[in-house]
This record gives sequence, structure tokens and C-alpha cells, in this order.
Amino acid sequence: MAKDTYLKKILGNDRYSRVRQTKILMVGAGGIGCELLKDLVLTGYGEIHIVDLDTITLSNLNRQFLFRHHDIDKSKSLTVAKAVDSFNYFDTKLVPHHGNIMDAKQFPITWWSQFSYIFNALDNLEARRYVNRMCLYLKTPLMESGTTGFDGQIQPIYPYYSECFDCQSKVTPKTFPVCTIRSTPSQPVHCITWAKEFLFHQLFDEVDSSAGGLNDAAKIKSETDDKDEIENMTKEFNELVDLRKLIFNSDARTFFTELVNKIFKVDVERLLLIETLWKSRQKPVPLIITQYEQDLIRILDDQTELQKIFGDETKVWSTLENLVILFKASESLQRRLQGEESFLSFDKDDEDTLNFVTASANLRSIIFNIEVKSKFDIKQIAGNIIPAIATTNAIISGFSSLSGTNYFKYDFEETQDFSRIYQESSSIFISIKPNKYITSASLVGPNERCPTSSIARGLLKLTPVEVKELSLKWLVDKLIEQYDYADEAVALILGKSRLIYDVDFDDNLEKRLGDLSGFTDGELLMVQDDDGELESIELYISIVEDHESDYLPQIKLGPKKAITEESSNGSSGAPDVATDTIVIDEEDEDLVEVTEPVVKKRKIEVEVL
Amino acid sequence: MSLCKTRLQEERKQWRKDHPFGFYAKPTKATDGSLDLTQWTAGIPGKQGTLWQEAVYPITIIFPEDYPSKPPKVRFPAGFYHPNVYPSGTICLSILNEEQDWRPAITLKQIVLGIQELLDTPNPDSPAQEPAWKAFSKDKQMYEKKVKEQAKKYAIAG
Repeated sequence: MAKDTYLKKILGNDRYSRVRQTKILMVGAGGIGCELLKDLVLTGYGEIHIVDLDTITLSNLNRQFLFRHHDIDKSKSLTVAKAVDSFNYFDTKLVPHHGNIMDAKQFPITWWSQFSYIFNALDNLEARRYVNRMCLYLKTPLMESGTTGFDGQIQPIYPYYSECFDCQSKVTPKTFPVCTIRSTPSQPVHCITWAKEFLFHQLFDEVDSSAGGLNDAAKIKSETDDKDEIENMTKEFNELVDLRKLIFNSDARTFFTELVNKIFKVDVERLLLIETLWKSRQKPVPLIITQYEQDLIRILDDQTELQKIFGDETKVWSTLENLVILFKASESLQRRLQGEESFLSFDKDDEDTLNFVTASANLRSIIFNIEVKSKFDIKQIAGNIIPAIATTNAIISGFSSLSGTNYFKYDFEETQDFSRIYQESSSIFISIKPNKYITSASLVGPNERCPTSSIARGLLKLTPVEVKELSLKWLVDKLIEQYDYADEAVALILGKSRLIYDVDFDDNLEKRLGDLSGFTDGELLMVQDDDGELESIELYISIVEDHESDYLPQIKLGPKKAITEESSNGSSGAPDVATDTIVIDEEDEDLVEVTEPVVKKRKIEVEVL
Repeated sequence: MSLCKTRLQEERKQWRKDHPFGFYAKPTKATDGSLDLTQWTAGIPGKQGTLWQEAVYPITIIFPEDYPSKPPKVRFPAGFYHPNVYPSGTICLSILNEEQDWRPAITLKQIVLGIQELLDTPNPDSPAQEPAWKAFSKDKQMYEKKVKEQAKKYAIAG
């Protein structure tokens, strides 16, 4: 029996033959990517391009089953392409690319345009958003997928017909106000943030003087001559500078004692003086090191005891144990700075830095009467990580591949009219909650308030010669002519946030396009109607050797949509618990970077599959 | 993010059309001749009839990439004398605090007016620096002297 007998039965002959002739792209060859590539190869696609920027590490091997121990340090994309060879029954052509998908030089828009369908198997929001946007520029359908722990989801995206990746707001990682972190912590995460981003950073890391770091003292001096004032304001910073100096001019004992004394006693006592802070809060209790000194010395000399403390990362350490850990960590960080390394950055996989942050965060928690956490827990919080589960990845990849074949029901060769197919597709969510193992939701149209799909998109095509010779004024005129802006009031923003022209800013008008810094292939140019009548259009600058007569997309701009901030504000409203589903697979650890969960606010129908 | 830049250009346009008297606000010019919409400088005039009058206090406003989900960072020069201003110059104001009253709908105009209001009505419950806070709560005379000295430093020219 031929290997494709069942495939033909499942997909139907027409669909199967379309799949066989199709060129697709898979972005990411990690946790989901390994599973997904297996599925795609066994589905019989004609040609699969694979992009990943990463190399294989030991911690990948527990779930990224296409990799073996001898593959460590090799390119993920090149390795997966070879690994599936043994079961490439339908002679799928595999084209791996080692590189960053967001690199417009390696992957210009002309490269993207060769694919009929794109599968995302990514682990981060930035790349997902980028691929989503590329699909919107080219109107290429996209299958989005992601997992966190036991949760996972797939979402088929038909550009401008169904919701895009950005149509539902993503919860962005929380940041905390300086006041809470510096003076009034109330949760373990506040103390961890303080330990990692303030204390550790100021003591051991490269300090950025422009960002109000240690050099603030110098800045303050330039502002005022009052001696007392300078003294007061710079006290805290100067003491940290002194402490930092101690790293080099003292032994481990002195450094440690001074550190504990300043950070956990003097600074806390000073905070206590600000009485208003403690009107409605519990007062912190300064840590008096002398109480612990004898025990500390005893344990530091006792190897078995030390090993016992260091050995259990899931135990919640006592004050004394945290002091022991802090001593050992600061001793070793001090030694490293005295040696080869000129500064140290926090890294959850660098034991010394993690120990330092764990112990100092916990000591601060004890002082402020906050729950103390184990090193294991703190590693997850400080490193923003949650576990990746192979089974979740396998299930989601299966859905991604299976659901992807849906697209090939119809022949889209000529048109990009997705009005029918999008109504026949659904998102799928999986979770470990009883009765919610698998749920699905029909796709709905783009969110009118979506900051990404509510603006028009297209290519701005220019030859290298035109870029060199044509001026910004030419482009502005061309835009006005093409899109009919009232009062000729347009604003042009290049890249992330650089305004190059508006009615109030015409300095650059006579410049050649090529002389505007950043006007290069792959860069984005946002054109906004300053009168607020027409929708904005974001142009992808595509510099090609030749193009047909049109420079700009031949589309009619609709009226401006009301992009209100609610759409971008992840914090508005409580997430619907039933469907707060999530995206993301990881990379570098047996633990994963948490990117932002997708909060679905819409009700979904529950189907038993 | 596209929302950030469209919104910032919108703020620029609104400011051009209508802004409160005596204030200024503009994006900074980058070395390449473009305007950086994420970095603004602005001036806050002290209200007439207060200790802060006859001066315009400079601030810098830095908009993060996820603005307007997240609020901008607003700073006076380092060492600015005010109970709710950190030694680094960062302003502790509830509408600029994501955890408190920041809303994406808050405009640049509302921000600068809020800061003007804060100048003469400090919030003694959220001290950000010792010298000004101590003087404000315990030694009003000293406080007034310092504020007036500072007003002279930022006095409107001519």
C-alpha cells in the first residue's frame, strides 16, 4: 500500500494534490517546531522553509525530539531539516535558514512573498508580531500557535478577514512603580525586583550613568550648591558607590558585613524615619547582623551544613540560611570582579547571581514581613520562566498542522478572498482544567480597534536609483496625489518613532530619500493623515532592481477608525477565566521564558472534539 | 508599535492646535535631522500667585514603546526641589503611575497641567526626597525660601 493512501483519504484528492504542490514557511524550530515539522513533512507539503536563529542546548533535548546529544551547539534549523530525512516519504523539499526572521536583509519582503502559507512556532511576542505584520502586508494566511505549561492554543489568521495576532490585547509584563520597589514593598515580587534590578545591578553590573544610576551624584552637584542638600540627596547613592569600591579593596567578610549593615539596617532605619509611609502599613524591622554572627561563622566553617543548605532549592530558607547564602554568593561575586570580569549581569542560570538575588530578596522580605520564597520559586519569578511541557507542544502542533490543511480545501491561487474559508476555521484552546481540555472558537472579523489590522498596509516600491535621486518632497506629493489627503496634511514617521515630515516640520523636504537615515529596504514608513479623516497606512519600503510603474499600493484609504486605547490596554477588565488562554513555547531551558499570555475576552463556544 | 507612533503624532497635532498658555512641549531633534517622537522636552510655568510663579520649569518626557498602555516617564532636572520629586528628578504623581491613575486616554495636556498643579500642592503622603519633604512638613519658612530660590533659577528671561 502506498504511503499516501490514508492521506488521500483524509484530505481528499484535490486538497492532497494542492498540499503536494505548496511552498510553506515554518518559523521557529524549537519545542513546537520539532513536533510541527514532523507533522508537516508527514502531510506531504511540496516545499518547507524553516527559519530559526538558535542553536541547540542540552536543556532542549528533553522535548525537542529531533535533536540528539551530538547536535548540541549546532543550528536548530539546519539540524531539524536533516533529522526529518529518515521519514521524508513524500520527498518534501526542505530549505533551512539559520537567521533571525526579523532580519529584513536576510529575509526581504520579496523572499516572504514566495510562500502560500506560514506556520508560526515561535516563543516570543516580538517575532510573532513581526510575522503577523508581514502576513498583513502580503495577505498571506498564517497559523499562529503557542503553549505555556499545560495551556496552548492555535489561531488561524486570514489577513484582513479574521482577527490578526494583535486584535486581542496581550497582557504585557508588569512593571512596578519605583516607590513600591524602593520604599514600600508588599509582595515577594517587589523584593525580587529590588534585589535583581536595583541592588544587584548597582553593585555588580555595568551602570548606565545616563539613567539616573550611581552618577546621579555628579548630576545633583551641578544643580545645587547647598552642602547639606547634596549630602542628603546623594547619601544613599554614595553609600552604594562606597560599597562597590569595597568589592575591590576589602576581604569578603568586610564587604559582606558592610553590605548587610547598610542595606538591611541603615537604609531601613532611614525609611522608618519617614513616618507617613507607615501610617497604614506595617513597619519594617531592621536586621541586626550581630545576632546571627556566631551561628553564621560556625556554619560557614561547616562543609556538611553548607552543602545541606545549598542542596535544597525548594526549601524556604531561614534568616540565618539566607545570610549564609548571601555571604557565599557575595564572596564569589567579589572574587569574580577582582579577577577577569569587569562587571556581572544577572542571569538566572548563573548560580552566584541567582543566589545573591534570592538571599537578598528574602532578607528584604523578612524585614518587610513578606512571604519568603524558595530559590526554585525565585528563579522562576526573577527569570520570568514557567515549565515547557512536551505533550502540550505535541498536541498543539497536531492541531496546527491539521487545521492548516483546512486552507487547502479551496483553490486560492488566483484570489486572496478569504471570506468563506475564515468562517469555516476555528481557534483551538487546550488546558488541564476539567471540561476544558479542548475548546474551540469560530474566527471573527478583525477588531476595528486593533492597532495593527485597523490600518492599511502595503509596499512602497523604489529602485536603488530612485532612492538616490528622488526627494522627500517628491514622496510627499506622490502620497497626496495617490491618496487624496485633504489640505495636503500628512505626517511621515520612519521606523519606530522618527518623525521626518509634517506640516510643522519641513526641514527634510529637499533631502534625497537615500540621505534620510534609516530609509532602507525593510524599514517601515507610517503615513498619517494629520487632518484625521483618512486611515493611516504603513508602508514597507521595498527597494528592488525594477518594479512596475506604481510606487504605492493601489488602494483606497477608508475613513480613520477609532483606535481607542482600550484595545491596547491589557489591564482593562478582568480576563474571562474560562478562556484566558495563552501562547508561547520557550527556548533555552527546561524552563521557558514567559511571554505575555493572550487574554481572550470573547465568549467561545465549547465543543467536544 | 504602530499605536505608539500614531498616538504620539496625534498628541503633537493636538498640542499644536491647542495648548495651555505659557507651556511648551516638543519632540527632541535627533542628530539625523528627524524628530524623535518618544523623547520630548517641555516647560511648566509656575502658577501666578504661588511660590512657583514667574518661572518655567523644564521637564523631559520619555514615552515607552508600549505607550499608551504604559505611562511616559516624566522628569525634572536631577536635584529638583519638591517633596514629590525623586533626587533623580523623576516625578511621583498618581496619573503617571501605571499602578495608580494612569489611563491610556490621558493626554499630554492633562499631564503637564497635572504637574503644574502638583508644584504648589505637594502630596505629603508620598515623599520622594528628604530635603524638600522635611522642610515642607516641619520648616515652612525654609521650604519657601528654597522654592523661591529655585524659581529664580528658572525665571522667565526678561
